[in-house]
Amino acid sequence: MSPEKIISDDDDDNHSVEESDSSEDEVAPRNTIGDVPLEFYKDEEHIGYEITGKKIKKKEREDQLARYLASADDKKAWRKIIDEYNDEEVELTKDEIKMIRRILKGKTPHAEVDPYAPYVDWFDWEDKIHPLSNAPDPKRRFIPSKWEGKKILKLVRAIREGRIQLDKPKEEPKLSLLWGDDSGSSGKSRGLAYIPPPKPKLPGHEESYNPSLEYIPTQEEINSYQLMYEEDRPKFIPRRYTSLRSVPAYVNALKECFNRNLDLYLCPRVRKKRINVDPESLKPKRPNLKDLKPYPVACYIEYKGHNDAVTSISTESSGQWIASGSTDGTVRVWEVATSRCIRVWDIGVAIRQVAWNPLPQLPILAVSVAHNVLILDTGLGSEEEQQRIKELLLLEKATLADQSACSGCCFLFFCIFLTFFLRESRAILVHQLSKKFSQSLPFKLHGLPVCSAFHPSRSFFFIATKKEVRVYNLQKKQALVKKLETGLREISCIAIHPGGDNVIVGSKEGKLCWFDMDLRSTPYKSLKCHHPKDITSVAFHRSYPLFASCSEDNTAYVFHGMVYSDLNQDPLIVPLQVLRGHSSLKAKGVLDCKFHPRQPWLFTAGADSIIKLYCH
Amino acid sequence: MPKHYRPAGKKKEGNAAKYITRSQAVKQLQVSLPIFRKLCILKGVFPREPKKKVKGNHQTYYHTKDIAFVQHDPILEKIRQQRTHEKKVKKAVSKKNKDRVQRLKARKPKYILDRLILERYPRFVDALGDLDDCLTMVHLFAALPTLQNEKVTVKRIQNCRRLSHEWQAYIVRTHKLRKNFISVKGIYYQVLCFVLHISNVKVFSIFHVHLRLCPECIWTLSFSETRVQAEVEGQKITWVTPHALQQVLTDDVDFNVMLTFLEFYEALLAHVNNNLYHSINVKYPPILDPRLEALAADLYLLSRFVSHKSGASNMLLQDQTGQLDESQLTLAQLQHQLIPSEPGTLMQLVEETEVNNDDDDDDETKECKSLFRNMKFFLSREVPREALLFVISAFGGMVSWEGDGAPFDETDQSITHQVVDRPSQGHMFLSREYIQPQWVFDCVNARLILPTEDYLVGKIPPPHLSPFVDNEAVGYIPDYAEKIKQLKAAARRQVIPVPDVGTDVNDTQNVLLEGVASRVEAKEAAERKQEMLLLEKQYHDELKMELQRIGNASSAPQLGSVGHVEATDDGQSKRDQTARDSDELDKLLMSRSKRGLLNAIEIRSKQKNDEIEVLKARKRRNLESGGSGKD
Repeated sequence: MSPEKIISDDDDDNHSVEESDSSEDEVAPRNTIGDVPLEFYKDEEHIGYEITGKKIKKKEREDQLARYLASADDKKAWRKIIDEYNDEEVELTKDEIKMIRRILKGKTPHAEVDPYAPYVDWFDWEDKIHPLSNAPDPKRRFIPSKWEGKKILKLVRAIREGRIQLDKPKEEPKLSLLWGDDSGSSGKSRGLAYIPPPKPKLPGHEESYNPSLEYIPTQEEINSYQLMYEEDRPKFIPRRYTSLRSVPAYVNALKECFNRNLDLYLCPRVRKKRINVDPESLKPKRPNLKDLKPYPVACYIEYKGHNDAVTSISTESSGQWIASGSTDGTVRVWEVATSRCIRVWDIGVAIRQVAWNPLPQLPILAVSVAHNVLILDTGLGSEEEQQRIKELLLLEKATLADQSACSGCCFLFFCIFLTFFLRESRAILVHQLSKKFSQSLPFKLHGLPVCSAFHPSRSFFFIATKKEVRVYNLQKKQALVKKLETGLREISCIAIHPGGDNVIVGSKEGKLCWFDMDLRSTPYKSLKCHHPKDITSVAFHRSYPLFASCSEDNTAYVFHGMVYSDLNQDPLIVPLQVLRGHSSLKAKGVLDCKFHPRQPWLFTAGADSIIKLYCH
Repeated sequence: MPKHYRPAGKKKEGNAAKYITRSQAVKQLQVSLPIFRKLCILKGVFPREPKKKVKGNHQTYYHTKDIAFVQHDPILEKIRQQRTHEKKVKKAVSKKNKDRVQRLKARKPKYILDRLILERYPRFVDALGDLDDCLTMVHLFAALPTLQNEKVTVKRIQNCRRLSHEWQAYIVRTHKLRKNFISVKGIYYQVLCFVLHISNVKVFSIFHVHLRLCPECIWTLSFSETRVQAEVEGQKITWVTPHALQQVLTDDVDFNVMLTFLEFYEALLAHVNNNLYHSINVKYPPILDPRLEALAADLYLLSRFVSHKSGASNMLLQDQTGQLDESQLTLAQLQHQLIPSEPGTLMQLVEETEVNNDDDDDDETKECKSLFRNMKFFLSREVPREALLFVISAFGGMVSWEGDGAPFDETDQSITHQVVDRPSQGHMFLSREYIQPQWVFDCVNARLILPTEDYLVGKIPPPHLSPFVDNEAVGYIPDYAEKIKQLKAAARRQVIPVPDVGTDVNDTQNVLLEGVASRVEAKEAAERKQEMLLLEKQYHDELKMELQRIGNASSAPQLGSVGHVEATDDGQSKRDQTARDSDELDKLLMSRSKRGLLNAIEIRSKQKNDEIEVLKARKRRNLESGGSGKD
């Protein structure tokens, strides 16, 4: 903001003031229109009148450009302001500008004035410490005022007459009828919905002053309370008083009341639905079991003959024979229907596992013994078949000898392939009987292998380590097809659905996982079986929608596991039956279970040296 | 971007906006914590449990709307005024300006809680529903010692006494007491209050309707031309009164909190009493005779006043104007002074009121009212007077006590029962029975006049059982409960043949009546028979169960030693096994949460069973030790 502007504005506004101000050094104003707004003359030729009454003509105004040019030329132009009233140009002097600046700053206009000059007391006399008048107080200062007296008398009279009441008896506020007419109220409280506090617990028989004798704990029981946790300890110990007069005052009455109050205003209140559910309603509805028949229900045949725990069984593909291996070092072949033992091989070392060839043309058995895998000719089947087997095995013997250094653990037939994996070296070997040739599969295993399985129709190979199941394609450079994450602590066994898309995995914590390979790599359903101990084996039925698990607690569970060809429909899993019958020996129960290939029958091999057949 | 980032200018949402912590709330209301507590107590605001605790788990959360509700309440301003007023008083005191102190104290800003009560309990039923704590606390404070220098002033204690007596007097008058129980903690009472809501009132002609009342039921009555929707809501109100002894004052309670609660409860109970008294046409703060009040016979006095007033008020209802009040008052006072001298008047009063109000009571009330009818009780010195006065008169009996102001003397020949609680009684009147106080309470709970042999002076009375326990639901029935049940059944059988005795065959009307009666009787008999059959069947079942259990118990120890015992109940165990198996299979497919729930239910039921087993074991042991003791 330029000083010029301010000054000009200032000048305009203070016109009238200046006019009235009659200072000697000011020249009398030429214009005599008086206190009239100048805008009245906006459209006139003149601006006012002289003292003689002549019109004062408006001067020709320079336009802005000219003024600007003039200001550029003239150095004193900034001092010049236009006096609108007199319509003349005034040039401010240096002193005037100084004065204006001082006023703007809020100082006195003249610099020589001292606003803080010391005060000079003009009246100074010697006895100025004494009061001006030393006259004594008049009497009226000491006597009560007459007028005040009159006013007081008035009040006293009013009090006496009862017009003014002092010490009014305090009125108790009268109770109004709060809920006089309920029909008017909407029944809705303002604010948020009110949650009424829970009612205090009503006393039971034991809180009586004279309870029945059975409610009074003995001294031993009272002492045993001391061993309990503080929270579990009963807060109230019943006592018996034989008469009402002997009941003392309750010590905690006030304290309990206080605690209740605290609960009322400090505890968060939540409206909770009291769970009064029927336990039956919680259980999921199982479809009618009659519709899911047939499935193994009861034990029909027992195969006795082994002297020690039967570790493994295997069914022949026709369903006529089963083979079993036991820790007593024998491998036996039984006729299913008659429970007759057809053949016994005494190998002398505990058998880990036995397996029939799934091809019915070649009825041979593979047996895994401590460090060896043996191929046994069962001697069953027609002569032609026997001939072929002999040819095959004749050539075989030499190769097997090479394997003796390895510790085979589990193996499977597929056509005439034989796989087994070696625990310690983490290697998986595939042996082709016809070529008498073993080769190791170049998989990198993350952890120790637990068990393996072949895909029933495609050239996939499943291998389970403790945590996960890996699926490899054997043809395409042994590529990893899928990894199934079980989330289990330790896998103990797997089984593949005959369709090939579903896998069940049993674990040592008693859990059973069903994988739908098309769906995802995590379990479709995880069944927490009530096996408190390990699941030792799981098995699918080849044709019926059944699967089973057996565990070391002497039970086998049979499930209905229906897989639909429609991809949109999830598999249906229904637990069907718990099969019991085995007794445990050396803390081991059922060690293996297999389904009959044609019938809905289940074989279980127990540690009590018995094989059982459960039929529908 | 952090997870909780909220752009500037965007409002808070969800739980962060809905709930605020306590310290935030205190800050928002601009009050101190004690005042905040007081406000919460008076307004009935309580913390909430947000789903997501934004400020952490250890905080207390209030709903924002709750706090806003408190903030807009005029009581907040009043409390602030009180605080400044206290400061003024303190200043005046410290300046020793006694006049000012006095003046200020007289002008203390006060608030009344009427509006708050109505706000919290919009309907009368709501107020009744929340009355449990209120009554317990008021009764407790009524029993506190009137100590000086304590925070609890004498005036408040007296007010509590007055309120509790008024409440009890109402209960006595309307015979609403249902259950009572002497526990170690005090005496529990339970009343059943019905409130009739009439909505949609368009009554042109009122018919006399007899309503059978039952708790929690809703009736809709449709008349021609009129539609009255009446809702009957029953509220069970339970409270405890401490034993009439010197109460123990403990230091570890915060009296500020308790007194704030008491303040609200006093106001609430006063209003509830007001409403209840209004419903029986009695003027509310009852004006009482100071003489009897001084003798601490408040309850008696009040109940008499109430019953008298409500009886008389039917006539006075029309012209109950302000002018009449004073004369009525003096009249009442006169009557009070007169009545104690002549015992007959009270009886008259009771009868009168009974006649007046017989028709609008439900069956249960009638039963309660007539339990102690035509009985006269006399209470000895050592008996808790107030409790018995309350209970006996609530069930229709007449009571007197030893002391001044008693309606009749100990020597009165018409007394039927004397309540005594001492080891031996010196002089005995042959015309009356001497019983212990527990008899009264047991009779009330059983709704039956029990035989008095067990309750005689100096005897140890039979166990006192809680009426609040549903024995069948718990699964354990104490012996005495069984006995009472039998007595009840016997009483019912006795009562029924009575009409036969008085019938006169010649009178035709009587014959008709008899016909009706016999039909009813036959129906009842049939019902009884069915019931008996059921009971018998149940008994047989139980017997069977017992036998089985004994069998099991005998076989249990042998299980380990002899194998073939199993074969005897092989079928049984097999069935058990299959049942367990199917349970297990069911559980297999359950989701984790449901399985957890089921397990919890099973654990709870097992705990219950265990408790019952403990009781049974103790009982067996007691029996054995008792048997051996006898030998």
